Amino acid sequence: MSALPRFELDGRPLVRAGFATIGLAAVIAAGSRGGRWIDPALLGYLIACLFAFFGVAYRYFAWLERPATAMFWRWTLKGLTTPKRWLRIPRMAAALADQMVLQRFIDFRAHRRWAAHALIAWGCMLAFAVTFPLVFGWVRFTSEGLNPDRYQAWFFGFPAGAFALGTPVALLAFHILDVAAVMVIAGCLLAFMRRLKDEGEQSTQRFGLDLMPLLLLVAVSLTGLLLTASVRFLDGRNYGTLAFLHEMTVILLLLSLPFGKLFHIVQRPAQAGATLYREEGETEGLRPCATCGRDHIRPNQRKDLERLWNELDLKGAVHSNGVHHLDLCPSCRRRTLMKAHSQRLHGAFDPFAEIPLPTEPIDDAVSLRS
Amino acid sequence: MVGAEFGFYIDPQRCIGCRACVASCGECGTHRGRPMIHLDEMDRFASTQTGPTVCMHCEDPICAQVCPADAIKRSEDGVVHAAQKPRCIACSNCELSCPFGVPIIFRGLEQMLKCDLCYDRTSVGHRPMCATVCPSQALLFVRHEELAGMRGNRPLREFEIGALRITTRNAVMVPDPEIPLNLDASLLCPEGGR
Repeated sequence: MSALPRFELDGRPLVRAGFATIGLAAVIAAGSRGGRWIDPALLGYLIACLFAFFGVAYRYFAWLERPATAMFWRWTLKGLTTPKRWLRIPRMAAALADQMVLQRFIDFRAHRRWAAHALIAWGCMLAFAVTFPLVFGWVRFTSEGLNPDRYQAWFFGFPAGAFALGTPVALLAFHILDVAAVMVIAGCLLAFMRRLKDEGEQSTQRFGLDLMPLLLLVAVSLTGLLLTASVRFLDGRNYGTLAFLHEMTVILLLLSLPFGKLFHIVQRPAQAGATLYREEGETEGLRPCATCGRDHIRPNQRKDLERLWNELDLKGAVHSNGVHHLDLCPSCRRRTLMKAHSQRLHGAFDPFAEIPLPTEPIDDAVSLRS
Repeated sequence: MVGAEFGFYIDPQRCIGCRACVASCGECGTHRGRPMIHLDEMDRFASTQTGPTVCMHCEDPICAQVCPADAIKRSEDGVVHAAQKPRCIACSNCELSCPFGVPIIFRGLEQMLKCDLCYDRTSVGHRPMCATVCPSQALLFVRHEELAGMRGNRPLREFEIGALRITTRNAVMVPDPEIPLNLDASLLCPEGGR
């Protein structure tokens, strides 16, 4: 018997991911004017991007197949296609900006965690915003006419501004990836420091899932900075080797995207949908707990959860008084366990109950033990 | 990894409501400053009964099944962990579906936190915080073979809610564990709810 785990692919996500990748290839072809403006030096990156996109799309579509994810997905689609809900779209965009750009929810978890995450996330977003269009041939730079001192930027084959060499704009354009690399390295160092010190993190972190992505990000950023160092300080010595190393680390990072922790970059926007779902449910007013009467559950979620429970084969969770378990608030669920337990112990907590005496003495050494 | 030879045993009958477990739970490294154990009073007017609730660590956790972000994982040692920070979208599905009323959604943090059996401690051979400080040992974390000499009751890991059957890693102590514990809301509200 093979020691390797069985690797299975689901048909529907596979087909959807295939179509999505073909779609991306078509947009790349359109943006690079039939591939004319694709930089041959970046071809390796382009192929890795397409593979990574396919992997990410496959995992994303496979994720949507889960009944619980599909529940939210259906709702989000309904939210975007029902005109009366369009009024909520600005609110959803604001939630998305707060959660994806400002990331304040991480600041509430811990300031240092936020600093590390913000540096890594913004550094990566900056780098992705520059490198993907360059690799796809959507952005390119040429000399402006016959003037070698001015650069012309092109986007999707259309002129998108010009700048002179030696100006701050040129400096930023040529070194924006260095800025991103420094941000990512600083963020990774902060994250490493936290992971080295925090006992909670140490007990749950795993090398492949939590540390490897950080190491890959540092490797990509460091080799990228070394390219600049080679040009500026070493007269271009070892540039070829460094470029190869950088390409290898980037390809490794790209191919790890569907498998590792960095997949949360594409999962995370679902949070905005969840926020909106919650807000819509609350406008209808909370349904009370069937037992204590305190505010308990949003009506839309109550309906969806019962359907989800049925889909997951969690049927029949109805109490003898006709109450569905979903209609009990968490506190009443806990008290039900306590009540059932004390009943099993013959009403040990009822001051008026008759408690049967033990038939033989219990050798209870607890009070003598630590 | 938590040793398979250890079990967590809950004996609500022994709880004296001192809240030492609540205070110490907040010291756990995985959710520092936020106690995850629940201590409920059954009926403050009529009874002194209090009950501690920790996560029961279900074998097939419903919280994980209903999580749209696939953020709740059960490790090989049977411990169901709090939602993974990068994934949790704080949708409340887990909080509303847990049969035992354990997970807590923290608004602002946008994350679900729950008892994870003090994984920072139990994974290196220590007892969970609550079981360490419980003066009446209503919460007990011991080797399975040690339990027999300590208690007259025996561990029960099977629960029923209507037709739903739940099996857990943690156990409550009862005299007859062969019969699943029926968690019936009519015990709280016989007339059928509101």
